Amino acid sequence: MNNRELFEKTKQENRSWLLEHEAKQVLQNMNILIPPSKLVLKEVEAIESAKEFGFPVVLKLMSKDVMHKTDSGAVVISLSNEQEVKETYVDFMRRFDNVDIAGVLVEKMVKKGLELIIGTSTDSTFGPVILFGVGGVLVEAIKDVVFRMCPVTKEQALGAIEEIKAKILLEGFRGQPKVNKDQLSDLLVKISQLAWENKDFIAEMDINPIIANEDGIFPVDARIILK
Amino acid sequence: MTARLENFFNIKSFCVVGASTTPNKPGNVVAYNFVNSFPGKTFLVNPRGGELYGNKLYQSVLDVEDDIDAACIIVPAKYAPQALEQCGEKGIKNIIVTTGGFSEIGEEGIILQNQMYEIMKKYNLNVIGPNCLGIYSPALGIDTMFLPDSKLKRPKSGPVSIFTQSGAFGAAFIDQLSGLGTGQWVSKFVSYGNASDINETDSLEYIGGDSDTKMIIIYLEDFKNGRKFMETARKVSLKKPIMGIKANRTETGAKAGASHTAALSSNDAIVDDLLDEAGILRVITWDELADCVLAFGTQPLPLGDRVAIITDGGGAGVMASDMVSDCNLKLAEFSTDVQKKLDETFPIFYSTGNPVDLTGSATAEDYRDAFEAVYNDPNVDAIVNLNIPCIPDLDINDYVKYTSEFAQKKKKPFVTALIGGEEGTKATNKLLAKDIPVFPSPGRAVRALGMLVDYTKYLRKHGVDPKSIHLED
Repeated sequence: MNNRELFEKTKQENRSWLLEHEAKQVLQNMNILIPPSKLVLKEVEAIESAKEFGFPVVLKLMSKDVMHKTDSGAVVISLSNEQEVKETYVDFMRRFDNVDIAGVLVEKMVKKGLELIIGTSTDSTFGPVILFGVGGVLVEAIKDVVFRMCPVTKEQALGAIEEIKAKILLEGFRGQPKVNKDQLSDLLVKISQLAWENKDFIAEMDINPIIANEDGIFPVDARIILK
Repeated sequence: MTARLENFFNIKSFCVVGASTTPNKPGNVVAYNFVNSFPGKTFLVNPRGGELYGNKLYQSVLDVEDDIDAACIIVPAKYAPQALEQCGEKGIKNIIVTTGGFSEIGEEGIILQNQMYEIMKKYNLNVIGPNCLGIYSPALGIDTMFLPDSKLKRPKSGPVSIFTQSGAFGAAFIDQLSGLGTGQWVSKFVSYGNASDINETDSLEYIGGDSDTKMIIIYLEDFKNGRKFMETARKVSLKKPIMGIKANRTETGAKAGASHTAALSSNDAIVDDLLDEAGILRVITWDELADCVLAFGTQPLPLGDRVAIITDGGGAGVMASDMVSDCNLKLAEFSTDVQKKLDETFPIFYSTGNPVDLTGSATAEDYRDAFEAVYNDPNVDAIVNLNIPCIPDLDINDYVKYTSEFAQKKKKPFVTALIGGEEGTKATNKLLAKDIPVFPSPGRAVRALGMLVDYTKYLRKHGVDPKSIHLED
């Protein structure tokens, strides 16, 4: 499905937000690299996918009734063998037997790294604006973010990256790998284009956390909220 | 393409609708302003007819036979739609409505403003206002500011153009500039009030392209066309500095705004980042804004961020040094020659590092020698001259003379702070009388310099040579 179709389908189903696997499909349609993942409906498929991606993996429950997955225990990380995948799958089915389950997302676990956020929102004055910041899930506490109007050019994106206070973290702070700013700015450009081109559909977006490690920059979770 | 606002300034004839014969009434003041200052033709309209300041009072704008380029409507709000309709019928395309009592007062006013909007569209008019001071340009003899000269002093012609959403801010700032230094500051002033038509973006488009404008001061509470404003500002700020206040920063502020010029607040974190990206130097306080005018209006842009501080008081020097760091400036490290010169010139108990502390024993000649040594140091980009004038051996008149001399060289920014009471105030006034930038505290002097450096840094980041920007006339 293309992005427009994904948004329209979501609206037809009376949902105001895309499930993570749908949101990631949207990102993939923008040629954004995401960690390998598969939506499965059976325990055996979960194990197969995990083996295919290689351990460790993450299992996430996809349900329109569970928006805040981590808070609800719908994300289990660091599953390092078949047995753990199986147990987690079974546990999901047991714990979430009263919700409408779209499937379980099996995802190759991204190595640790610097947690970043890119998000968009609709400002009453400026329309779609994009946010970049550090801190991943801690962003609201740290509040080290920078805003730009969508869409941003590559040059503007590179400029925005330099505006955060903790930019030293991007330079390979205390033995961490350096963040590839070229790749990061491309990601900002693409997400800003996504928000701009679909401004009639998208109200807000959170690509959070984005993990920057020695292998590259990976959107680990994505949330798209429609108008 | 001509900016729409240019039509209001590039005029040969003007009409005051609501010219009053009662002294100091708004309609009387504006009539007086135009009759006395405007080199083109002025037409006055008052339904009672008669004469005012030697000019005929037409009973209706429709009675005027000549073509009219622009008009100002100064009648009570309820009569404004009719006046606007007649101006439209007469074929006047550019109209300023100073009267208040529209969208800023609520439901009733919104209905009136909508009525005005329909007329505006029908005749394809350019409208400034309502609820504003309108426009002012001393060089062009244009002045719709309806407060009499006895109350609101007018600054003379100069490099600064201003546009403001708040008329009260505009009036106060204009008045303040008239008393700042020689008072020669203003090129174009626009108070657009409720922005029913002409708004902040139109103002920036015109003023940004106006060759007489060397720097732009803005006061905004909200944006009518925020995206285009930022896009325009990005281009303009590479040619001339834009600085100002975007008020309405907090929720409390937003509420105050709603009852003021029907302001709606937008998320200040976004605004702050977008202003910064567009090269607009944002200031928070009124003081900073006047300080900016003094610094940008009289000094060249620095070519770097290395500051030399000269002081006669340790405390003032330390505080200035702290502010140097707060403003992302650096204390200059003097070149070997200059350091040697300072060491040879001054007694051992003076401190010849940076800050150069001439101590309470300082004389005016010590200051002169220190200025001479550091001004031409290639390691110094700007000079902060601090003086606590109550010390015994300092001849204040000579100090003023040397300060003036260096501040007027204009090769590098040279800012002064005179700290203290009567003696300082007297010297301050003497310096200001020559448009020498002087401030009442070390912090304000350094901060004003910091704004100049911020602009230099912005230009450099965008590949523009700060030497290509000429701030002075």
